[in-house]
Amino acid sequence: MIRQLSAELALVLRILFRQPGFWVPTVLFPAMLYAFFGASMAGAGRMGAYAMASFAVYAVVGVGFYQFGVSVAQDRETPFSAWQRLLPGNGSLIWVARVVAAVIFALVAVALVLTAAWLIAGIALQPDAYLRLAAACAVAAVPAVLLGTALGSLASARAAVPLSNLVFLPLAYLGGLWVPPIALPAGIAALSVWTPTRAMAEIAWAALDGRDLSGRYMAVLAGWALLGALVTWGAQIRHRRALFG
Amino acid sequence: MIHSQPQPPLRARGLTKSFGAVRAVNGVDLDLAPGEALGFLGPNGAGKSTVLSILMGLRPADTGEVALFGHAPDSAAARALFGATPQSAGFPEQITPRELLVYAAAHHRAPRPAGDLAEAFGLGRLIDRHMAGFSGGEVRRVALALAFVGNPRLVFLDEPTTGLDTAAQEGFQQVARDYVRQGGALVLTSHHWDEIEAVCDRLTMIDRGEPVLDGTIDAIRARTRVNRVTFALPDGRHPPAWLAAGATTPGHWQAESADSDALIRRMVADGVPFTALAVRPLDLKDIITRIRNEARP
Repeated sequence: MIRQLSAELALVLRILFRQPGFWVPTVLFPAMLYAFFGASMAGAGRMGAYAMASFAVYAVVGVGFYQFGVSVAQDRETPFSAWQRLLPGNGSLIWVARVVAAVIFALVAVALVLTAAWLIAGIALQPDAYLRLAAACAVAAVPAVLLGTALGSLASARAAVPLSNLVFLPLAYLGGLWVPPIALPAGIAALSVWTPTRAMAEIAWAALDGRDLSGRYMAVLAGWALLGALVTWGAQIRHRRALFG
Repeated sequence: MIHSQPQPPLRARGLTKSFGAVRAVNGVDLDLAPGEALGFLGPNGAGKSTVLSILMGLRPADTGEVALFGHAPDSAAARALFGATPQSAGFPEQITPRELLVYAAAHHRAPRPAGDLAEAFGLGRLIDRHMAGFSGGEVRRVALALAFVGNPRLVFLDEPTTGLDTAAQEGFQQVARDYVRQGGALVLTSHHWDEIEAVCDRLTMIDRGEPVLDGTIDAIRARTRVNRVTFALPDGRHPPAWLAAGATTPGHWQAESADSDALIRRMVADGVPFTALAVRPLDLKDIITRIRNEARP
């Protein structure tokens, strides 16, 4: 089991790392966006740290949902992946490896946002706060990837990217990643508390302060993760049927 | 070789499969014993790939049953015992053959070392190169090696030598014969008739999803003991009419006969001025064409 999982992970990571044209812009983009907008908005104080955490979550969603989830699910069944299914062992470990690889790349993007915050806005946290924030981002990356694979599995290859733009950008806004939740209009604020992005941000902010994690937001996030996993699973089975009859 | 399991490597009964209104597979039975190689043939679109994917558990049959060593074909127990060549499309280009062999090996209990396989399938120079830019033949060699990673007792080889040069084809045939001699069971689809004949002892042919021919190659040959006689004549000379010979190239002729000895004696007696005489059994391909033409109403 561990031997197979590490083999799956090594394969996925090698394929990705050897395509720098894919992953370098992917992990740089959130830090760039933070440098343009996030750093100047909130300054260096407590609000600045909150904005940095928001952009860290934005990096998680951008890399996990938008890049990995959607594009990985687009690698539909190829003759090679059909052969992979003929190997003995547990076929679902291929998906576990994909999620773990996405979490790793999301954390690289988060690290770049934190570095940009330190360089540009002079925001420096205690080592334990950095660790808590990284752990929160790793947790948040799992539902982000699963929601991305769900959308990528449902949509056709051409529709996936425009459709995910349509979902991703409003989710970032609704979740309070660009504008703090208190600044959201009342109607939007009521909706915000049910979005996966808000739940991720709340967990990241709590991690930043060292507060207890909110059970309510953890439950919201777990619900979205489960939904993403179920939709992905169903869509992949449907797709395999269409291909193999 | 001692077979701890009495169940045959492959047993399929009454397979059918339809796609919409099209019946792609209709009543296919297959059997394979240890140490046996089966050639699985059919024209393009005959349903070979569909049958293969059912046998390997990639898709379910509408009716009928398949057992590999007594296990359902999509079970973990079956997958531990058989190997298959991936088709060429969709190989990750950023990966080297060695990395792929090690990847596949991690799924098996007692895999063959990558170095072993590299030698058997002529991957020496390629083993640590990224697969981007591999030729079709080079990808096929990697695919063949992947089928044998898990020391399988049954392999499905789908067009394994497409794009391989002659030396690599002969190398493959040697590996395949050794594997069968050591008790392995093998299913081979190929467009190369000489390859089927070099590797397999039995063949099953399907057309439009239905079995049209099934038997050992020796028995199929025995059904048609026809030889082909080829010879040359001086320019401007024609063979006598009783020979019913046809020209192959200018000055070269061929005739088919169930009693080639009598035919040659008569050619000598009639003083036919032939040179370069050769007598060969019909190619397997021609025999099968003959049998199928005879079977048609």
